[in-house]
This record gives sequence, C-alpha cells and structure tokens, in this order.
Amino acid sequence: MQNPSLYGSKPAPRLVLSLATALVFVFIFWIAGKAGLSRFLGKYASITGSLGVADRVVGLTPADPESHRVRAAVLRELKQLPQAAAELELALSLRPRDDSLWLQLGILREELEDASGALIAFNESVRLAPYYALPRWQRGNLLLRQGRFGEAFADLRHAAASNPDYVPTLIDLSWGISNGDLQLAEAYAQITTSQMRLAFAEFLARQGKGREAVEQFALAGTVSNQARQELVRHLISVNAFKEAFQIWGTNKIAATGDQGTRVYDGGFEGPLSFDESSFGWRVFRGSQSVTLAADSSRRQSGSKSLLIEFSGDSNPDTPLLSQVILVKPSTRYQLNFSARTQEIVTGGLPLVVVSDSSGSRKRLAESPALAQESTDWQVVSFDFQTDPETEAITLSIQRKNCTTSPCPIFGSLWLDSFSIEDLH
Amino acid sequence: MRLKQLNASRAIAILVMFAVVQVSLQIAFAQGPQFIARLTSTRGNQPILVNGLSASTGASIVTGAIIETGADQTAEINLGSFGTLELAPNTQLRLDYDQNGNTKVTLIRGCVILRSKKNAESEIVTEQGSAAKNDKKKNSVLDVCFLNGQATVNQSAAASAISGVKGQATGASGLSGGAIAGVLAAAGGAVFVTVLASRDNSTFRANPSPSGP
Repeated sequence: MQNPSLYGSKPAPRLVLSLATALVFVFIFWIAGKAGLSRFLGKYASITGSLGVADRVVGLTPADPESHRVRAAVLRELKQLPQAAAELELALSLRPRDDSLWLQLGILREELEDASGALIAFNESVRLAPYYALPRWQRGNLLLRQGRFGEAFADLRHAAASNPDYVPTLIDLSWGISNGDLQLAEAYAQITTSQMRLAFAEFLARQGKGREAVEQFALAGTVSNQARQELVRHLISVNAFKEAFQIWGTNKIAATGDQGTRVYDGGFEGPLSFDESSFGWRVFRGSQSVTLAADSSRRQSGSKSLLIEFSGDSNPDTPLLSQVILVKPSTRYQLNFSARTQEIVTGGLPLVVVSDSSGSRKRLAESPALAQESTDWQVVSFDFQTDPETEAITLSIQRKNCTTSPCPIFGSLWLDSFSIEDLH
Repeated sequence: MRLKQLNASRAIAILVMFAVVQVSLQIAFAQGPQFIARLTSTRGNQPILVNGLSASTGASIVTGAIIETGADQTAEINLGSFGTLELAPNTQLRLDYDQNGNTKVTLIRGCVILRSKKNAESEIVTEQGSAAKNDKKKNSVLDVCFLNGQATVNQSAAASAISGVKGQATGASGLSGGAIAGVLAAAGGAVFVTVLASRDNSTFRANPSPSGP
C-alpha cells in the first residue's frame, strides 16, 4: 500500500518543474522570435529602403549589430551619409571584430570626404581579415586616389592574388595610371604568373596592341587551347590579323610551313565547329532549313566534301560558311574551288564572295552564281585585287539576293578543294 | 680660416637641403597629383561595367574609361572637387577628365546628369557633336539623354530616367502597417521555426573574419 503523505507531495514539484520548463521555453521562444522578427523586418527594410521599418528593427533588437547595419544601409540609400556612418559605428561598438562592418564604414567615410577616417577603417578591416581580397582591394583603391601608388598597387596585387577575378581590373588600372606605358603598367601590376601574363596579353589585344600582346603571349609559356582561341578572337576583333594568325598558327605553321595566305582545310577534311572564331571555317547557325555535313560519298579531292542541303527559307544576306584568310596588301589573287549542285530551286542562287575583313568590309569580288543542276564537279575560279590597306579577306559562301521576300531555297550543294593563289 | 670653414659648411648644408627638396619634389610629382574619379554608388550595390569589367562602389575610374550601366542599374561617379556624374540605366559613355577640372563626357547612348562646380569646365558630347556645356562662372547641372540618335538637353529626361528606376527600389516602402502586419502574421509561424534553425554561426558568430587563409 502506498504512503498517502508521500503520494500526495509529488504533484507539486512536478507542476513547478513543468511550469519552470514552460517558462524557459516561452523565454527562449520570445528571444528567438524577437531576433527572427528583427531579421525578417531587416530584410524587408533593406529591400524597400524604409527607414520606419529599419527603426523598428533597431527597436526590437537594439543590442544586435545587424539591426544597426541594416539601418545604416537604409540611411545610406536615402543619402543620409553622416547618420549612416554613425549607425555603423554603433554596430561596430557592438561587434568590433567584424571586418565587413569596418569595410562598409571605410566606404562611407570616403563618401563623406573623410579619407583619413576611411583609411583607418580599411586598415582595421584588413587587420581583421588579412586573407580576404575585398578589404585590400578597397584600401588599394583609396590609396590610389590619394596618389600613393606604391602602397596602392601592393594592396591591389595582394587582393588579386587572393581573388584572381581582380586580375583584369588590376591590369586595367595599371594601364590607366601609367597612361599606356607598357613597362610602367607591368611594373605596377607585377605580372609574374602565366595566368597574369595571359590576362595582360588579352588586355593588350583589346587595346589594339597586337605586337605587344604576342610578346606577352610568348612569355606566358604553355597555355590552353581555349585561352589561345580567346586571344586570337580579341586580336581579330581589333583587326590585328597578322598577330592573331601568329598565335593561332603557332603549331600549324610549324607543321605545314605555311606563311598565311591559304584556305585552311579547303577540302573540308577536318571537323566543322560552331565555336570557330579564328582562321578556320566559321559555320553560321542562321536557319533551321539549311544543314551542313561532311560527305565522303561525293568528293572532288581528298576523302570528303561539304554538303549543304537547303529545305526552305533562309536569309540570302547571311553567310552559310566563311573563313578569314591572311593576304598581302595591293596583291592580285585567284580563288579556286569546286562545286556540284543537285535540284536547286530558288530565286537567289548560292555564290562565293570575297570581302575585306576590316574597315568597311568592302566586297572585293564574287564568283558567278552556281548552277542549279550539275552532273559533275564544276571548277570555279575568279580573281581579285586587295586594297593597299587590306591585311585579311573574308571568304564566304552565301546567296544572291532575291527580288522578292521571303526567298526560300531547296536542293543540294557540294563544295570542295578551295584554294588561293598569289598571281604576282 | 674658421670663418671660411663655417661658410663652406653652410654652403654644403644649403646644397644638401636643396638636393633633398629637389628629390622630394621629383618623387611627389612621380606619384601624381593625378586625380582619380571614384564610383560612389550603384543601384542596390549592383556592379556596373568599367572598361568591360565589373566594378562596384569604391572602384577607381581613370580618365578615358568606358562606363556602362545595365537595364536596371544606375551609378554615380564622384569627380572630386569638380562635381559628380550620374548615369541612368542602359547608358554607355566615355569619361575624360584632367587635373584642372575639365570634364568631357562622350555619351554613346543613354542618359546622364553632370553636376559641375564653379570654375570646372564640363561638356557632354554625342556622335552628333557637343550637346551641352556648363557655365564656368557658377555651379551647373547638365541633363542629357542620347537615345535612338536623338539628343535631349536639359529637359529633365535623365533625371526622370534615374528617379524612375530608383523609385522601383523603394516603391514598396509605402506599405501600410496593416499590410506589414499581414505579411508578418503569415510568416510568423515560419519565422519561429526558421529562427531556431537559422541560429547558425553566420548570424551570431563573434567574428566572421578569417584568421587564416
């Protein structure tokens, strides 16, 4: 039998314990709820830029530095810069070891024309996060604007070493500060790694400094094919054709002894790529009703030819295929190719066009329109003269303009054995 | 004899001082006084393009830079004591300036507001030629848009383009307390749960800075 006095005394402590536990949970929920609500409102205030909501955030959690950071951001958005700086300082008094708050304070102080205060804040940010790129990047920019180039570039280089995304901007700034002086720019940026060298070469290519880009590329050592193609693309875009060919053909020239003026893969023996942007065949994705394929069943030379099948509408002005070819200025050339057609029905027959690759892209010559039907390979040749400024030509396969629009085309065209001859 | 020695020492001291001053001056000029503009703000701190590269608040902008804003971006550039330049969305320009306060904005497309202080010389040009010039004798504001080959000068077109996109950012700030309460009530339950779950290091850590690489 149970002792009634003992049995009767148990519920009271249990109840107290349960109540205490409940109170603790309520307290935890209250604290967590307040913090959560504050964060939620903080996000809302950041998105909407509402100072009223930001004030409520600070009211809810005045001891949370994040609340003050949010209010500072809103104040900054509202261009109340001194108040924003004061709010950030308040946040920093609560979390003095937060590098990101120091960084934001530095930016704000500079906006307030307080360069020395900004430098103090950036210094603190760098001290707290010595391996982060952004604090050093911001401090470097501040020092740069103060004319302290040596210290500035030391910081900028450090940042770029931590985060390679900064390398192109580091090079750009070096170039700008050195007024385009190659040696000085190189000294500021301290081009040391192969990747930096390549980035510098690309930068120089974009500036139209083809020769210098090639020199930097040569110093970069072994580079990926993609990087090589990218540099070639940049050089071609600034009409530095010779330099682009020099880089593109580093291996190819060695293998073939080629000096430049030739149609690359004139027999379509190699694969075609949509990504080609240098001196190979460039294929355009102009129309669904035009398909290009290598055909080994019908060929004029080698083991393949190119088959173009037309099955509907396509823009006559859009080239189907093209290639940039290096040429000599003021020189007469002959272009040769073989074509075969089958059941071509259209108002705008295919033809081959040669135009200047730079400047006004002047049309230098074109072949006669190809026949609608040919039972055998037809060898087509035509001459053209390059202008005194011409360094490269674009050979393109396109169509004659129709008199009406749309201008559909049906049938098959085979092309093979493209070649170019210097007539002088 | 002693007097001669004293004079010689003085002469040497003056020469040394002169040399030190010369070297200091050379170093000072080698370092600049090259003024460099600063990107002070972008809409929502989104990066814009400077010479085709991403640039955020605090970036340095050297003379001759090509600056470009995206479809929903604005930017402001501090030209130091000479003024400021504001860019509307979809604007592309070239910014040239020098130490003497001469600022030239070549507007390729889009809208800009160039605020110039007294004694600064500012001009906005388009492919059609000079669109607007300031009056050096006083503070001035040049508001120019160049869209579809047509320049609009000082008709607040750029101001409208900039305030229009900025308004989008703060457009929701006019929500009533009731609306906020509604949103909060709906999110309330989720907040309690997520708060407990999200009390991670990123929120309550003492110091988020790395002490090592």
